[in-house]
This record gives sequence, structure tokens and C-alpha cells, in this order.
Amino acid sequence: MPRLEDLSEVARQSQINLPAFEHDDAPFVPLSKPLSESMLGMVTTAGLHVIGDMPFSNGDQSYRVIPSSTPSSKIIQSHTSIGFDRTAFMRDVNISFPIDRLRELVDQGEIGSLAENFYSFMGANRNPKQMEEETAPELGRRMLEEGVDAVFLTPT
Amino acid sequence: MVARAIEETGLPTATIVLVKEHAERVKPPRALFVPFPYGFALGNPDDPPFQLKVLGAALDLFAAESAPVLAEFPEDGDAPVRLLQATDARKDASNAGGDPADEVTALRGYYERWTDDHDGRTQVGLSGVDQRRFRGLVKYMQSYQPGQDEGYAEKPAETPTPRFLRLASDDLKAFYFEAHMCQNPGQENNNLQKWFWTETAMGTMLAELAERLNASGDEELARVAFGIAR
Repeated sequence: MPRLEDLSEVARQSQINLPAFEHDDAPFVPLSKPLSESMLGMVTTAGLHVIGDMPFSNGDQSYRVIPSSTPSSKIIQSHTSIGFDRTAFMRDVNISFPIDRLRELVDQGEIGSLAENFYSFMGANRNPKQMEEETAPELGRRMLEEGVDAVFLTPT
Repeated sequence: MVARAIEETGLPTATIVLVKEHAERVKPPRALFVPFPYGFALGNPDDPPFQLKVLGAALDLFAAESAPVLAEFPEDGDAPVRLLQATDARKDASNAGGDPADEVTALRGYYERWTDDHDGRTQVGLSGVDQRRFRGLVKYMQSYQPGQDEGYAEKPAETPTPRFLRLASDDLKAFYFEAHMCQNPGQENNNLQKWFWTETAMGTMLAELAERLNASGDEELARVAFGIAR
């Protein structure tokens, strides 16, 4: 988001007033080995999925599986709010889901390997309680089982 | 929020955030604030070096020795800060006339060239209607009246009509934007919005559809209208 002071008053207030879970501290798990030896997972809240998979609807708190070998041409976005500009994603999937960039970093040895599966949730969820308590923890456990060492996340 | 939940299961996370004020409250374990609009998390489309800079800055946060960490990406991107909306774009313009179905036919060649040039990639495909059938879809949407539940055989049976109208509108917009980006590469983002809402018969048709949905008094249809044009 642009710095809020650059927005109109209405847009600024609408951002500030979005519901957010407040916390005083954050959980912390250190990286167990260097990134160059780690298996990296990716999770986005941009409402993405493989073409043909079920589109997200508003308030949907489930997630979709996007195998990391998926060609970027097969990824579609069903989060389509006119609050944001979809033309960037039309031009380049990597703008929200840098799948090609991560492959390049693996080739360059910066990242050990990519997880077999990447995942997506829907964004702009105003009451993501089920996500916080059920589907996101379930996804974390699933990635642990899949041998993932670290997770990179992107927004819409 | 998702980052916290995943970290709590035992996995280190690093996340890009677009609203710094939210990250300060939610406190994801490792966050990189980027000053880009929604839809531009990695900065600029078709700019791998810039995207790698953003990605690198986020992945560097895995080296942090405690949490929360909230870093800030120092460079601005190219995208305009404010996205032009239908109401603003249409304020000073008279409605573009013409038949949106004919327009679809005229744009089809550009749309198909766009997908050919992008390994078949397209953001058309949410409604379940093939783009070669869009003329019929347009005729249906032009004549749609709130409360009407039938009259279009291509609508997947499992998709409720209001939801279908939204997905179909998103498909038509994607078809137009991709065709126009093929026809006029390098357009500034808000010029694309302006073109769609003031110079195309489709922009007029969707704005009028949104008005009909809004006027129906039905809450669900009003939400769909807000998603089509505001």
C-alpha cells in the first residue's frame, strides 16, 4: 500500500478502520539451517488458484493447492475486487506470486529447494476467525509434514 | 495473521505487507512493508530485477534473531497511488455508445494474440463461459433484470445467478483489458481504467447493469453491483 499519508482521507480511514487482530508480541521460530539449504514454501492471500479449480468467493476461508511446478500461465486470480488493479497480475503473475523468481533463486543457489506445493487463501477477509483458528494452523501442520523449512507469504 | 498462525505451528515465516499500520498492530513475526498499491506486492510487473530486490529484502528477514521484525522497503514502484474508479472516470464523460457484443467480436483477435504471446496465460476463465461464447453472454447481461433466474443456458447450474453476474463481469473486464494491453502496450494503469469506463460500450453496459442491481433493493445484488462498478 502506498504510505497512508499519500491517500485521500476516505481511503486512509477505510484502511485504518479495517479490522485487525491486535497483538503485543509475535511467535518466533528460528530458521534451523541457512536458506540456501532450506526447502521454501509460499503462501499467498491473493485469492489465486490453478485454472479449473474452484474460484474463491467472498469470505471463503479455505485454501487452494498450487503445485510449485505449475506453469505461471495456469494460475488465475478469483479475488477480483475493483479496489485494486488487476491489470498488473494480468501482465505478470509474479507481481503477487513470484513463482518464476523463486525458481531463479533456487537455480542461483540462494534457496535450497521449493516445496512441492504452494498455497493460496482469499484476501480482504473481514472476519477471518476460521482461518486463524482452523485452516491456517492446519496448513502450517501440512507444510511441516511436507518437509518445508520456511514459508514466504504475499498479500493481494 | 496467516503468518502468525503458521509460525505458531513451528515454521519460520517472512511476509510482505502493504499496510504498515496493520502490521504494527497484528505483528507478523517477520514483515517487509512495501509502499506499493494492492495488486503490486512485488513492485512492478514484467520487471524481474526489481521484483528480485523486493523478494531478497523479504527473504533476508529470515536471518532475524527475534520477532516481531518490521522492515521497510526503501524504493517506490511505478504504479499510480490512487486507482481510478468507474464513478470518477465516468463523471465527465458521456456514455460510450455502440453494441458491446460487436465490440467483443472486434477485440477478439487482440485478446487471442495476447494469450498467444503469454504462453496461453489469461485471467479470463472464472465464469465457466468460453470467450468464444461471449456475444451470447453479453446479450444475456444486457437484458438481465433483477429477480430473473433463467434465460441463459451457458450459466453453470451450480453457480447462483448473482455470483455468476459478478464472475462474468470479471471475465469480460479481463478480456477487454488483455485485448487493450495487446493493442496498446505500455499503457499507464489508470489510462486503462479510463478507457474501459468511458470509451467502451462494455463499460457503459456494466455500469448500467450495476445501476439496475443497486436499484433492486436486494442486498446481495447490491453487493454484486459494488463489485462490478463503483
